[in-house]
Amino acid sequence: MNGAALLQLIKRISPKQVFFRASGLLIVIGASLASIIILVFLLSQYPLMTLRYFFFGVFQNLFYFGNMINRAIPLMFTGLGITLAMKSSNFNLGGEGQVYAGAFTATVTALALTAMGAFIGTVAALTAAAVTGGVMAGLSGFLKMKWKTNELISSFLLSNAVVLVVNYLITGPFKDPQTNLLATRRIAQEFRFDKILLPSNLSTGIYIALVMVCIVYFYIYKTRSGYEMRMCGQNREFARFGGLNVNTYIVLPMFLSGALHGFGGAVAIFGTYHMGIKEFSAGMGWNGISVALIARLNPLAVIPAALFFAYIESGASIAMLHSDVTFEIASIVQSVIFFLVTAETIYSLAKGKRSLR
Amino acid sequence: MNVVLTLLQNGIGVMAPILLAATGGLFTEKSGMLNIALEGLMLVGSFFCVVLVSQTGNLLLGLTLGVLVTMVLAGWLGFVTLFLKANVFISGLATNLFASGITVVLAFQIYRNKGVIIFHEIPSLGRVTIPIISQVPVLGRLISGHHVFVYFSWLILVIAWYVLYKTTFGVRLRSVGINDQVLVSLGRNPRNYRMAAFLISGFCCGLAGAILTLSLRAFVPNITAGKGWIALVVIFLGNKRPMGLFIAALVFGFAESLSNYAQGAMNVPADFILALPYALTLIAMIGYSVVTYRRQALE
Repeated sequence: MNGAALLQLIKRISPKQVFFRASGLLIVIGASLASIIILVFLLSQYPLMTLRYFFFGVFQNLFYFGNMINRAIPLMFTGLGITLAMKSSNFNLGGEGQVYAGAFTATVTALALTAMGAFIGTVAALTAAAVTGGVMAGLSGFLKMKWKTNELISSFLLSNAVVLVVNYLITGPFKDPQTNLLATRRIAQEFRFDKILLPSNLSTGIYIALVMVCIVYFYIYKTRSGYEMRMCGQNREFARFGGLNVNTYIVLPMFLSGALHGFGGAVAIFGTYHMGIKEFSAGMGWNGISVALIARLNPLAVIPAALFFAYIESGASIAMLHSDVTFEIASIVQSVIFFLVTAETIYSLAKGKRSLR
Repeated sequence: MNVVLTLLQNGIGVMAPILLAATGGLFTEKSGMLNIALEGLMLVGSFFCVVLVSQTGNLLLGLTLGVLVTMVLAGWLGFVTLFLKANVFISGLATNLFASGITVVLAFQIYRNKGVIIFHEIPSLGRVTIPIISQVPVLGRLISGHHVFVYFSWLILVIAWYVLYKTTFGVRLRSVGINDQVLVSLGRNPRNYRMAAFLISGFCCGLAGAILTLSLRAFVPNITAGKGWIALVVIFLGNKRPMGLFIAALVFGFAESLSNYAQGAMNVPADFILALPYALTLIAMIGYSVVTYRRQALE
């Protein structure tokens, strides 16, 4: 694995560097916005109208605006999950499967515990989701600890297999026979999170996400365990020399990362979808990686980064509704960000130091 | 016995795209770059090859153009990684994301269709009968009678072996993977060799993708379905050697034809069949790492 480049992301940087990093980030974001404009001019017959919907459609009414913020909620969880793993120099690439499996477990638990009442049922479902995601990622961590299995490939492969198995479960044994949707039954009314910005889908899930950002920030920077985890992330040999149990910080961050993903999937179910729909979470895991990288692995910066991604996706879906482009242009724009966000040269160009030898 | 023979025969057909993509990935791997973009490059190759063959009405021209488009994407990946110094892993993910986006967007733009696109006008690929071998009982059934691409993938593997082990270029490329300062001391830039490796992987993945769509005469979104990732694992399991690649790819080809057979014969849900390559790959990965770990512990 390209350790040196990853370490570059983890290093603490001075305030002056923060400014240069920020201006590098502006270049990346600018490039992604430019790519939207170019794509729309190439693909749409009415480019100006499409662009207006893309960039300003979100602010057109409360419905679109609330839905955009709602879209950012799962990205905050997955972004935090990736941040946590990468801070410890572990790579969790199975986010897609962890979100999806977590959401599915939460739905099934909530359906099974309907009689237990909303509080017990919700807590049990959220816990089950977090454990499901955590065990999936933790397994990759365990394999890495035990036999040095590349966690990045193992988590990805496991996630892909799990996504397909969950697809089968949702469309097979757990499918709601009453509808034609490829989905499970709906969870009971009293389990669902309250809407806070009608008519949009925005729910109280946003508060949970914001609290989780604070918890993760506190854990990483203000606890002993978080400190040790960061130390292992920066230099595992040094941490070992310092007497830390290095193996713990392979499995634990991976477990927590997966747990955050699974939890995020559950929150999406309780807040927005209310039932397990086939492939409803597609993209949430991948975008979590982008969100974490744009936030430069700072838990607090995950909030604006997730909102930015939600803005692009919402823009694309509004443009699709009102004009002649298809939603997938969002993934092209996201890939532009992905391409450039770790590019060191861009950040040094912004610094005025030309290292493009 | 007959079933096993049929499975092996199908497996040899199925392994061709995996083997080709793995051969391309071998070059990047040998130059010291973990190229996880094989999947995306293959997807782009599969789309552009079939569309350009259909639009130009010429198999060879369309194929060449499609492979060139794939190489352009691979070159961009190389540029971002080597010149803009992005993390090779993240830029590889970006390539995969870009590939799945651009293929759907263009399919929608050209055909107004985001599902299966069928190309009736493309001629079906002929099967090659090898004169003498086809008469030999078992061997004939296994080796003869495949699509021309199957033999092509073997040819490219042999060429790859020759280039990597018998030419100055190959030796230098491999030295970059071991220690990139070696070439610097020779007054050469290791970056150029890595760039070449990316372009070669683009060439091979473009062809690998073309096999998928041209033999099907259709494009299906995400038609690669993890084959690029399996190619990556084939490289590891094949111990990063051409002959090892061949054997590992054969194992996966056999596994896939076995799972296709299971789907028809035993009524296993389709999702499980689709999950099987990933599960098998994961198990193979774990087994490989256990063996390597033990071997290192012994030394």
